[in-house]
Amino acid sequence: MKLWVNEQEITATPGQTLLEALRAAGFEIPTLCHLPGAEEPPVPCGMCMVEVEGRGLVRSCVTPVEEGLKVFTDTEAVKEVRRKRLQGMVANHYGDCKAPCSIPCPGGLNIQGYIAFINRGEYASALSLIKEKLPLPATVGRICPRFCEPRCRRAIVDTPVAINHLKRFVADWGLEHGEPKPEIAPPTGKKVAIVGGGPAGLTAAYYLRLKGHEVTIFDAQDEPGGMPRWAIPDFKLSKEVLRKEVQGILNLGISFRPRKAWGRDFSLKDLFDEGFDAVFLAIGASKCRDHEVPGEEKTTSGLGLLFRLKKGEPLETPRKVLVMGGGYTAIDVARSLVRLGAEVTLLYPRSRMEMPAPQREIAEAEKEGVKLFLMAMPLKISQEKDLYRVLVARTRLSEPDKTKARKVVPVEGTEQELTFDLVVRAWGEEPFTDFSGFGEIEAQLATNPKGMLKVSPSGATNIPGVWAGGDFVSGPKTVIQAVASARRAAEDIHRYLLGEQKAKKGAVSVKFDFNRGRRMEEMDVDFYADFPTLPRERPAELPPEARKDNFSEVLATFTEEQARKEAERCLKCGCLGFHKCTFRDLLIRENVAATKGRKRAKYKVETDHLFIEVDSNKCVGCYRCVRVCNYGGIELTIFDQGSPEEEIHFTFTEDCVSCGACVDVCPTGALTRKDSTIPFTRSEAKELRTVCPYCGTGCNLIARVKNGSILEMTAAEGPPNYGDLCVKGRFGYTFYRHPERLKKPLLRKSREEAFREVPWEEALDFVAERLREIKEKYGPETIGVLCSARTTNEDTYVAQKFARAVIGSHNVDNPARV
Amino acid sequence: MRALRKGLKLVVVDPRKTELAEKAVLWLPLKPGTNVPLANGIAYVILKEGLYRKDFIEARTENFEAYANYILSEWPLERAERMTGIRREHIEHLAHLYARAEKALIFWGLGVTEHRSGSQGAMAMANLALLCGHVGRPGTGAMPLRGQNNVQGACDMGALPYTLPGYQKMADPLVRKKFQDIWGVPLPEKPGLTETMMYKEALEGRFKALYVVGYDVAMTHGNLNRVHEALSRLDLLVVQDIFWPKVADFAHVVLPSACLFEKDGTTDNGERRVQRIRKLIDPPGEAWPDWKIIAEVSKRLGYEMPYQSARDIFEEMRRIMPSFSGITYERLEERSLCWPVPDEDHPGTELMFQERFSRDSGKAFFAIPKHWGPEDKTDTDYPFVLITGRRLQHYNCGSMTRRVEGLLELLPEELVEINPKDARKLRIRERDPIKIVTHRGEVTARAHITTRVRPGIIFMDFHFEDPLTNILTSPGIDTEVHTPEYKVAAAKIVKL
Repeated sequence: MKLWVNEQEITATPGQTLLEALRAAGFEIPTLCHLPGAEEPPVPCGMCMVEVEGRGLVRSCVTPVEEGLKVFTDTEAVKEVRRKRLQGMVANHYGDCKAPCSIPCPGGLNIQGYIAFINRGEYASALSLIKEKLPLPATVGRICPRFCEPRCRRAIVDTPVAINHLKRFVADWGLEHGEPKPEIAPPTGKKVAIVGGGPAGLTAAYYLRLKGHEVTIFDAQDEPGGMPRWAIPDFKLSKEVLRKEVQGILNLGISFRPRKAWGRDFSLKDLFDEGFDAVFLAIGASKCRDHEVPGEEKTTSGLGLLFRLKKGEPLETPRKVLVMGGGYTAIDVARSLVRLGAEVTLLYPRSRMEMPAPQREIAEAEKEGVKLFLMAMPLKISQEKDLYRVLVARTRLSEPDKTKARKVVPVEGTEQELTFDLVVRAWGEEPFTDFSGFGEIEAQLATNPKGMLKVSPSGATNIPGVWAGGDFVSGPKTVIQAVASARRAAEDIHRYLLGEQKAKKGAVSVKFDFNRGRRMEEMDVDFYADFPTLPRERPAELPPEARKDNFSEVLATFTEEQARKEAERCLKCGCLGFHKCTFRDLLIRENVAATKGRKRAKYKVETDHLFIEVDSNKCVGCYRCVRVCNYGGIELTIFDQGSPEEEIHFTFTEDCVSCGACVDVCPTGALTRKDSTIPFTRSEAKELRTVCPYCGTGCNLIARVKNGSILEMTAAEGPPNYGDLCVKGRFGYTFYRHPERLKKPLLRKSREEAFREVPWEEALDFVAERLREIKEKYGPETIGVLCSARTTNEDTYVAQKFARAVIGSHNVDNPARV
Repeated sequence: MRALRKGLKLVVVDPRKTELAEKAVLWLPLKPGTNVPLANGIAYVILKEGLYRKDFIEARTENFEAYANYILSEWPLERAERMTGIRREHIEHLAHLYARAEKALIFWGLGVTEHRSGSQGAMAMANLALLCGHVGRPGTGAMPLRGQNNVQGACDMGALPYTLPGYQKMADPLVRKKFQDIWGVPLPEKPGLTETMMYKEALEGRFKALYVVGYDVAMTHGNLNRVHEALSRLDLLVVQDIFWPKVADFAHVVLPSACLFEKDGTTDNGERRVQRIRKLIDPPGEAWPDWKIIAEVSKRLGYEMPYQSARDIFEEMRRIMPSFSGITYERLEERSLCWPVPDEDHPGTELMFQERFSRDSGKAFFAIPKHWGPEDKTDTDYPFVLITGRRLQHYNCGSMTRRVEGLLELLPEELVEINPKDARKLRIRERDPIKIVTHRGEVTARAHITTRVRPGIIFMDFHFEDPLTNILTSPGIDTEVHTPEYKVAAAKIVKL
């Protein structure tokens, strides 16, 4: 039979629906409520509309094909209908597509995901998920300013989840217990030079190494680690933790060349001559900024002081110190000097709230005895022998100038002279810019007006084969920002090395992401009132008096118990139906924004079902759940569907057998699985087909696997189960990660003894030895082998062969009778 | 469910009103242990009324005359009615439905096989299929439903004392030669012991060591006290498992193994469908695939098993088992295959016995199904029949399902099903703790009052370590293959 589609001839088989015929011919027709073999929904979704000449708009899923039909898909009229319908659904949708905590994170970490893994006790998986984006979690877990935590929705309930402490917990768990080595791609034969072994350099090295490239890090210092190694004081991040973490990265097969400084020991040309195919420059920003105070040159550099401390150089302890500045360096120097017994005053020309250092750290400094001298500036510094005289004035802010900036001006008549044993300047750092003289390639590097390198968003410079990232490019920023820039650069370098085109970035913008409100005042407080309050866990902390005269880490890592409790506090904002959401796909396809989504919840989240969570706020009224159910397990009534007055009544009946077919056909996050707590996208997870481990029907399963964990099990089409599963098949798979799994061989020589853990060698030797003795003494017919009904054919074949060929007896049986 | 909606007629024969029985057009709650009488009663109706397929019987079967005489003379309908407790009209109705159907299937579970005359029951039903020619065509057949994921495969691989991999005969000299060529050692001469006999021998001091792979015999075997006694007499007990099984309490060595999500391989479902198991994740800690553990022990006993992967083992299986010779991992990548698959171009055998049966003559043989009553008989002291079985929410010994939070919450404990009439007589109310006593021992559990069981019958599962239901089960075993008689035990109930 012939049809015309968009003026193109196609053939169809009588009895087909238009939808089937069109899809078979390769036309993409969207559907939402379509469920082959099921009855019609009360209100069809209308997505499959096409225009048929002479009949107007028809639903292709219920229209039989007829000879000579002239069909038009995606016409303006069709698109208009779809848009209207989708807008109606959007207006009734309330939820967060993505977890709000992950959005401000420069590293783009799947925070909800790793918290969920921690909650499940799957620490190795949590770490593997983190390391997809961040190879230095123990470091960042100690010093991150936590862009995420202020956005945590639990703040509406009580206090934000301690995200960074959780990351630190799991990172330290990995350092202590070891973690599975990540998979390294086969060698590509390409060589990359990384200049600078700080967070950016290490990150780029890590991701490039995983792609199979040969990576060498050049660093001016003795050891890798950059600022975290040489500037961040031990009481925030201990050398040992950093060393361990960095060593883990180098152990992947990355070479490190110490005491090699760019410009002193080599130039870019040298690197290319040596055979490197690409270079990543990440030498950080360690040039001390000055403040144009007369006499400032006589003061000590704060960063220099920190360097000397971290190098272990002895310092003469001054008695009375002035530290000038309000950023990380200033606070770190002040806190370090306090530990050396000094009386420290920290001077900053603006208010406490304007200090660039995190408020948390300022408070800690105060606790430790640092005196803050705010709204004050030095006017002149002079030195007489061992004494500094500093002329200080109080400050006020000027009226806003053209750029609305308010400058600091001294208040006349407030000048006073103070004396100190030592004055430290810590006004901040900036990148080194005098690299153009290093060599012929360096001379061609394009710079911006400030003299800093000019790079693309992915860190590429104007010279092919040369990238840069981290503080060197951005000026001093946080570690997580350096990591993020280096990871982007590494991806770009990898593409360059393999000659791949830049991946086409999907034009999927945030406008398709529903959110429950961006600002506090937008949020539906009533919705959050249903979540029980849980106090935030606090890591153990050294009391201020115990911090004197030592550089031990002030904050401890969460205990396992604390981490599990804290992980339990996560509200799981990000939609756990994200990977199966075809509704969102439709919004993107039809370009319907999610911005008109509701900001008020209509329904409570129902968590009574043992395996399924129901959030009717995300229901689009397709009735697929009811229609797929073979047992009458769901009652669903929707009043005024599609209108703003829409009201949804959803309940599970007592006939529900928990087979879970409804969850997996739900095209949104209205129905989600309690076992599937890691948000993920379809392309991230590996889909593997296997067989259910329970009964003898042998239902085929599709497992979604990521980070060494099974994220969910769904039914495979085809024999023997044809897309169906029972409660055990769909939800019963989680036994594999139960903490009671046997993990080590256990042995006792007699039944009177207690079992003890032994190495495999010992257990196997014992078994073989005893079997040999018994066989020799009593004969093979006194030995038997019982096989399993839960292992593979290969296992059983080997076991019966063991009985027959090795023991020498047909004494072999299996649980066929149980 | 889809088939039922399309008009399939379902008849359920079960003393207990199962979930499936609720969907049936006819539910026949026969007396426990009377499967042979019922099947023979149905045969009687078919023979008496001439509803059998003469052409099929002539062309494809042997021994019909003897069978027909046996049934007609020994199994008059009154006898079946008296023994099964099913009215003759219902037996006739079922016989008519089955014989007159164009296509009909018989499925059975352990409710048929776990009796003294379990094998007889299976043969009695196979006879019905032969009588009506309901074999060898799509939508027909008589088959057991397999309770465990790879119990079919365990049998197919020859984990049985009386048959070799692929059901090859031990007595066949050509077969023995082939095994010797491939394995490099001659096959043992003496036949082997079934599991039940191993315990018997152990109790008598003639059996010394047991190597148990992923099978909690100390929980799931019948008449457990005897099994526990036998296990503690062993000089060596080695256990491989994923969780600590009850049998490990008696062991010397407990070895951690990978579960089905953590290794590659194949399994066979109840349709003989060979399917690929794929490794999804790494095993926890130091756990290994079962085959690797055994291969390592084997090496230490001087026999090398140099397999590098499950695939290596499969290649050897193909060489040794003609029914698997056409199956390769590559073919399984595309789709599953039902054995026998004699060569790589063979599409697999979803339907068996289309032209020949697997006997030398190619014809099916009508067995003469005999009936032996259960070993345990109810009396005034032990008035109840205890049936054991499984429930949807849990799997076998429950080691896996009890460790899935939701499943455990769905069914957190053993509940003894008892009919409201009996409960009233004994003054038992819902969830009352009761003691169940048989000649072997006693356990305590809570009661669940339901009409799923008929008066005089109680039902328990064996998914929990406490109570250990199989303490109670009968010492009776199937006369042919020694399957314990889980389905009938005389019991009494004591209200606590």
